[in-house]
Amino acid sequence: MNNIIEVKNLTKKFGNFIAVNNINFNIKKGEILGFLGPNGAGKTTSIKMINGLLKITSGEILVNGMDANKNRKELKKIMGYMSQKFSLYPLLNSLENIEFFGGVSGLSRKTIKKKEEEIKNMVDPLLLRQNVKDIPPGIRQKISLFVCLMTDPEIIFLDEPTSGVDPEVRRNFWYEIYDLKIRGKTILVSTHNLDEVEYADRILILHHGDLIVEGEPGGLLKKHKKNSIEDLFKDAISNHEQN
Amino acid sequence: MVRLENISKSFKNIKAVDNISFEIPESKITIIAGSDGSGKSTILKMIVGLIKKDSGKIYLREKNIVENYRKITSIAAYMPERFSLYKDLTVEENMNFFADIYQVPKKKKEELKNRLLIKTGMNNFKNRRAGNLSGGMKQKLALSTILLSIPEFIILDEPTTGVDPLSRIEFFNIIKELKEDGKTIIISTPYLDEAENGDYIVFVRNGRIIKKDSMNRLKNNFPAKLFRILPKGNIFEIINNLKKHEDLKDNFYIQGKYLKYIQIEEKNYTHLIPYYSIEEEKPKLEDIYIYYERMEEQELKRA
Repeated sequence: MNNIIEVKNLTKKFGNFIAVNNINFNIKKGEILGFLGPNGAGKTTSIKMINGLLKITSGEILVNGMDANKNRKELKKIMGYMSQKFSLYPLLNSLENIEFFGGVSGLSRKTIKKKEEEIKNMVDPLLLRQNVKDIPPGIRQKISLFVCLMTDPEIIFLDEPTSGVDPEVRRNFWYEIYDLKIRGKTILVSTHNLDEVEYADRILILHHGDLIVEGEPGGLLKKHKKNSIEDLFKDAISNHEQN
Repeated sequence: MVRLENISKSFKNIKAVDNISFEIPESKITIIAGSDGSGKSTILKMIVGLIKKDSGKIYLREKNIVENYRKITSIAAYMPERFSLYKDLTVEENMNFFADIYQVPKKKKEELKNRLLIKTGMNNFKNRRAGNLSGGMKQKLALSTILLSIPEFIILDEPTTGVDPLSRIEFFNIIKELKEDGKTIIISTPYLDEAENGDYIVFVRNGRIIKKDSMNRLKNNFPAKLFRILPKGNIFEIINNLKKHEDLKDNFYIQGKYLKYIQIEEKNYTHLIPYYSIEEEKPKLEDIYIYYERMEEQELKRA
């Protein structure tokens, strides 16, 4: 598989504070990459640099071979971003959200109409007309993902997509993520739910801006003689803390 | 004890809480577990009197809380999901501020403040500004501030949502110590792994209680067989293949690298799965929640 994203010596400073410290990794096309780390480890900062929302301090990010810092407009077309908490406007209904996000993403009226018809076949139209804040979390998540996929992005960033939802909704969401993988999409997902990470092809653990673990979950468990990702995570963090 | 009897609450035409009743035992940890929007926060807010219920009664030690509102505010502390700390003040300054709000006597203030900061592991960060704390530390500081009122009842609304796994474990260690001190703790959470810390569990879904019981009884009286299967092949493809078995598909679900099977029907269907190993297993709260969620779904379909 080819690398769709290459991150080289990536650093981000906010004043004197180093949020991301000279990290290197690649993401292969069609891969699910799990991004882990405590709050403040640098996960969201890294994601924001890759999708062009934040300027890098030093280093290089290549997406499809293009320099991410110089080709932001181009990159926006192939990237989708979704987070559980802030993706949709709660006081608009789902159709209005689709219209709004379709508009700002530069989709034509005709395409937006088509998308609205598409969602009506997936979700009860009555629910689609309720304000987003009032619809069940599982449906809200479905709509968020639908909005994120409207532009048919090649690379999808999911920033804590399963925070605050019950196990059933989380599971169904992962079934959808796997469908996206089958369709050839590349998926980068950050999460605090460590049991989910087993579904990723590879994981990265960040701590204090450093990349401290990288590898395939099963292989990492074997290598470190651990029974669960949670044990692996705890160990990696405390070792790094001591050093 | 706190007792809720037939409590309902609607916001316009949305039934947020639908005729629920349960009891909160003292000196125990009661956990209200459910998804975003299931009604957890509304329940907690009604207990502390922040929002008015439409119907039903809430009793605190057999006294109606509406008529004895001052009583509950004097012995209960409530921490909302997003607690307001002063981010430009240091940890210690925040503590001083809240100590004054709670009118902690001057003589006691230093001792109490230090004891709480040590208890929550925040003592080493006294001089750090609250705005520069990590998510987990902010929650520990928020907890410390509400403990300044020396409450008997501690009510925490999703204290760990968005907090990383290690900080969540630390937070619950503090909670368990508070229980040892005799405090009554009521926590809402969407995470069933941390709900394992509870003594009494209330599962809520769409404003209704789908099951409530003590942890021991929930685990010992689980009414179905549960299997843990290490599948041969891609777990998602196996799930996709199961979709053709309309009645069965929901009884199989993924949990980490394992496939779980709740055998609700008489016949065992594990032969549908290619596997390396299979074993019968005791349920975790997550399995128990899924079981009662299925039962609720079936009931709704029948209705």
